[in-house]
Amino acid sequence: MTSAGLAMHAVPENQRTESAACAGLSASFFPGSPILSVRDLSKSFGAVNALKHLNADFYSGEIQAICGENGAGKSTLVKILAGVDRPDTGTTCFDGKVCTLSSSKEAQRLGIAMVAQELSVCPDLSVLDNIWLGSMDVPFLPRRKDLRRRAAEALSLLGAEHIALNATVGQLTIGERQLVEIARMLTRNARVFILDEPTATLSDNEIDRIFVALARIKRQGRSVIYITHRLAEVFRICDSVTVLRNGEMVGVSRTADIDRKKLIEMMLGRPFIEMYPEHGYTEGEPILRIDGLCVPGAVRDFSAVVPRGDIVCIAGQVGSGAESVVRTVAGLVYNATGSVRVNGNPMRLGSAEEACQHNIHFVSGDRAEEGIFSSLSVTDNLVATRLRALSRFGFLNPKSLQAEALRLAGWAGVDQRRLRARADDLSGGNQQKLAFGRCLGGTQAGVLVLIEPTRGIDIGARAEIYQLMRGLCAEGYGLLVASTDLEEVIGLADAIITMYRSRQVGSYRGKAINMQDIMADITHPLK
Amino acid sequence: MTGYLRAFFANRTARPFAVLVLIVIVLGIGDDGHGRVLTTSTAYDVLQQFATIGPVALALGLSMMVGEFDLSVGGILSLAGCVAVMAGSGSPAAGLLLAVTVGALGGLLQGTIMTWLNLSSIGVTLGGLLTFGGLSYFLTGNTTIGYDRLDVALGVNAPLLGIFSARSLTAIILFLVATFVVSWTRFGRDLLAVGSDRRAATIVGIRVDRILIAVFVISGLLTAIGGGLLSYGLAAASPTALADTLVPGAAAAILGGVSLSGGKGRPIGIAGGVLVLSMLHSGLTAIGVPPFAHWIVTAAVLFTVGILDGEELSRRVYSFRRAVGQRPDTPPPSASSILVRQQADH
Amino acid sequence: MNSIGGQASEQPASVVSRLWSIRLDKASLIQGIAAVAVVIFAVSTPGFLSATSIRSLLTTVSFVGCVAVGMTFITLSGNIMSFSIGASMSATTIVFMVSVVLGLVPALILAFLFCAALNGIQGWLIGVFRANPLIISMAAYSMIIGSAIYITGGRGVYPLTNKANILTANIGPLPGPLAAFLFVAIVGQLILSFTRFGRNIYLVGANPRAAKASGLEPWRTVLWAYVAAGLCTAVSAVLVAARYRSGDMEHGIGYEYHAISAVLVGGTAIQGGAGSVIRTLVGTVFIALMQGLLILRGFGIEMQYLLIGLIVLAAVMLQWKGRT
Repeated sequence: MTSAGLAMHAVPENQRTESAACAGLSASFFPGSPILSVRDLSKSFGAVNALKHLNADFYSGEIQAICGENGAGKSTLVKILAGVDRPDTGTTCFDGKVCTLSSSKEAQRLGIAMVAQELSVCPDLSVLDNIWLGSMDVPFLPRRKDLRRRAAEALSLLGAEHIALNATVGQLTIGERQLVEIARMLTRNARVFILDEPTATLSDNEIDRIFVALARIKRQGRSVIYITHRLAEVFRICDSVTVLRNGEMVGVSRTADIDRKKLIEMMLGRPFIEMYPEHGYTEGEPILRIDGLCVPGAVRDFSAVVPRGDIVCIAGQVGSGAESVVRTVAGLVYNATGSVRVNGNPMRLGSAEEACQHNIHFVSGDRAEEGIFSSLSVTDNLVATRLRALSRFGFLNPKSLQAEALRLAGWAGVDQRRLRARADDLSGGNQQKLAFGRCLGGTQAGVLVLIEPTRGIDIGARAEIYQLMRGLCAEGYGLLVASTDLEEVIGLADAIITMYRSRQVGSYRGKAINMQDIMADITHPLK
Repeated sequence: MTGYLRAFFANRTARPFAVLVLIVIVLGIGDDGHGRVLTTSTAYDVLQQFATIGPVALALGLSMMVGEFDLSVGGILSLAGCVAVMAGSGSPAAGLLLAVTVGALGGLLQGTIMTWLNLSSIGVTLGGLLTFGGLSYFLTGNTTIGYDRLDVALGVNAPLLGIFSARSLTAIILFLVATFVVSWTRFGRDLLAVGSDRRAATIVGIRVDRILIAVFVISGLLTAIGGGLLSYGLAAASPTALADTLVPGAAAAILGGVSLSGGKGRPIGIAGGVLVLSMLHSGLTAIGVPPFAHWIVTAAVLFTVGILDGEELSRRVYSFRRAVGQRPDTPPPSASSILVRQQADH
Repeated sequence: MNSIGGQASEQPASVVSRLWSIRLDKASLIQGIAAVAVVIFAVSTPGFLSATSIRSLLTTVSFVGCVAVGMTFITLSGNIMSFSIGASMSATTIVFMVSVVLGLVPALILAFLFCAALNGIQGWLIGVFRANPLIISMAAYSMIIGSAIYITGGRGVYPLTNKANILTANIGPLPGPLAAFLFVAIVGQLILSFTRFGRNIYLVGANPRAAKASGLEPWRTVLWAYVAAGLCTAVSAVLVAARYRSGDMEHGIGYEYHAISAVLVGGTAIQGGAGSVIRTLVGTVFIALMQGLLILRGFGIEMQYLLIGLIVLAAVMLQWKGRT
């Protein structure tokens, strides 16, 4: 086990016999048989294979981390375990018996509870109702007193007594909503608890309370599956770690037998920086200058400079205000104040049209909602912002549209043979390239502002998107990126601005960029 | 000023009742001391109106609370009226039961198509509206069918306890049951959850499809009860007689605080919205305003609430206030309170 | 050129599929089969192929057709349908017939301006405030009916002039209304396919937020889509008024439902962003053929209503996207 110092248990590639389906794979590591195990699990979304013949086991009385880069398949795996998504192939076993997790109701019946990665609370309902939402313990006519008591217990376990049970969830902060969701999980009388990045929006204090609660669950002999990006948390509370990469199982290890560096190597499967192109550090003249930007309730006094040829990232957790800064620059926030200058020219805030005229283009991370026109063709998507330039007296020439689409497709790396395909037939990565293509190709280089440019995109396509972004820098564009993905921020950025709870905390350039400081900034700035 | 307004409009369920009080006062002033507004006969009229619009508004409102829109209420109302009148000459109860069954089946059919094929409710219920409307044309042979049980016709509208009637009492009971179900049962909570955030509802284990189908069945059921009793009361059924209920029904529902995006509103609020429209209708008639005013009033209600619920209202108000030279909002605290830590370059 | 997603089959690149604006798939196939079946059935029905029956069929269909083309603009722009389009058509017949004593040209101008403004105001409210289009059009419906009752007392307008009669004349072999309908449909399709405004309608209808993020102001497009709808409706209104020599609130009753039926039967997506005027043209003719057939085969109007309802329901069901 200690050979090569890695202490990793290699997982057989093709364990597909039904008879062995429920036997533990790594019995040498763990006491007893697994409570939950999956065999030969595959799942694809359209053209993307999110999971490829995955095998994994989870044990009682353990806190088990699942680690992996974005797009490694962690969330897909736990969504299948919680019955939210259904696998294409493969078997799941609960407590030694083969089971079909056909719905989240079924998972709940077996005793599996989950906190999903996306915030899953209903903003119009009260805290109490949200905590008991979907619970099978609630009879058709709920006994309120009992439910209130148990909900209050769960909240106080998390140190969140200040959240009133009657409050409407829509009025809570993002962090409080997350606590409500965790409280919901605690009220479920489950044997397996799954938490998918539960701490992304929480403060250190709140995180400590959650860890206490998780330790309690572990002592009760129940199982916790914990997904996190923060490796420190893995070493702090987890007993073992399962590493996924590209939809495949890479290995399992006790956390005691592995160190941070090795874990990162396992997750990446290659030297850290390779995926990201060379940095630029052109220090060109400023193309975008933001001064004293304020958005009521979201951003307080934000200032930044984006030089031509550089990528400036705003790092911050969900709700930190980083997204709002980018949306404001894109002209999508109507009530922002402050000054934004493009090439020295002041821009009126609150009009996307005006932003486009200043050659500021916006690529959203939420492709379906805001990024692409999914029911239209690739051509229509690409030329969407070009129509004014390509028309005379409001009339379009189909030939020039076609030519322009071809040119933009070539630039953004979209397959030129698929110009007639519908945009929603493309993979996530190609859709994102489409969104890029729409923004490019003006007569002169401008500013590109992005939110989560690689959200939900598989690794290969991510590298291409990063190349594309760096290529734009070479063209003379200045890029402003809001991202919650720290690895991406550090790998990509020439300069980083950190934000915490609407405020700008620090700024870093070049060699001053380091993970520890940035992580500290975006989680607890006033230490 | 806007602060108070905002707080007032924040409680969507209270909104219609506040408007109701306002309307009674205004009508009282408009009445000019003739004593025509606050009478038992006006109250009876209001409740009769309530019985006509109420079930449709409730049906529409429930579908809106779950984030859908049931356009078919107009069709089901006609169909149920025709079925009740045609089948109810022997036993009115049997006629009504058959009408209600037809309404519920209509809702079931639409709900199933919608969830099975993953279609938007507006398209399916538009098809349903035309189909059920067409069915009532087909059943009646495009004529008005008289109801031969005059005793029943008079009975459902006969005043009870001065201001009520069998019809209005039924409507009130429907609202009470709906209020209870939505506010006090798991089903009601799940319904609101599906309307509030459908993805979250799915993830926590609510069977969204079942809730949607159930809501459309209930919607058909409520509409059919309303349509059947209304046709009994009119002692006649025709495919066109009840055509103009969709608009007042929708007006009452959104006035009652239901949002088209779902998750908001309560049956009690819808009842308030229906009462507002009924009060306006009866009150204006009582003080002698010609009938066209009802249309204008309904239009005004729909325009007002429609714009107030518009997604970009606050943006336009902000731009407008800035354009006329007001400072829309006080700026946030100054930079001195913010910790900014600059790192050395390189 | 790299391609990360799997290779989808190449779409057939034909003018037909471009104008159709929706990929040729199973749904289109079913629609095509249904259309062919109806035509065969019609041709085999005795009396159908007589010139008079076809002429009268195509004339009546033209009135609804123009309104349906207008409704197509509204549906494509992501605003589902307008409940007020029938009422605004009725009101326009009154405006036209009241003003026709001033002469045909001023009356036409007034009618078109009136109808465009009536719908444009709704478009403005819907676009600027992102108010719900169903609610706003219901409000407009009530407002138009109420105002009309107030102004006319609920009576029709019968001017003692025959200045509008020229609108009922034939243009060559074509009945006037049919020529007008074809003209409206062709112009409408050209606008959708070959102008920036037309493209913007598709963009805003497909995804208003993405349209906004790419620098479009959706409200302008929505406003002009409603104005276009108003203009199409006005064409129908003046033709109807000229034909019946009256302006009356009765003229447009039910047109909103007939129009949206034609749009949906043609296969334009109810949620917007996909479809075309040509599809609406086909949908209109399809419904008219069915109606003509039923009459010739001895069924009453009640059967027509039922059948149209079922066809619309079937057309909506054909738009299913599959389970996600």
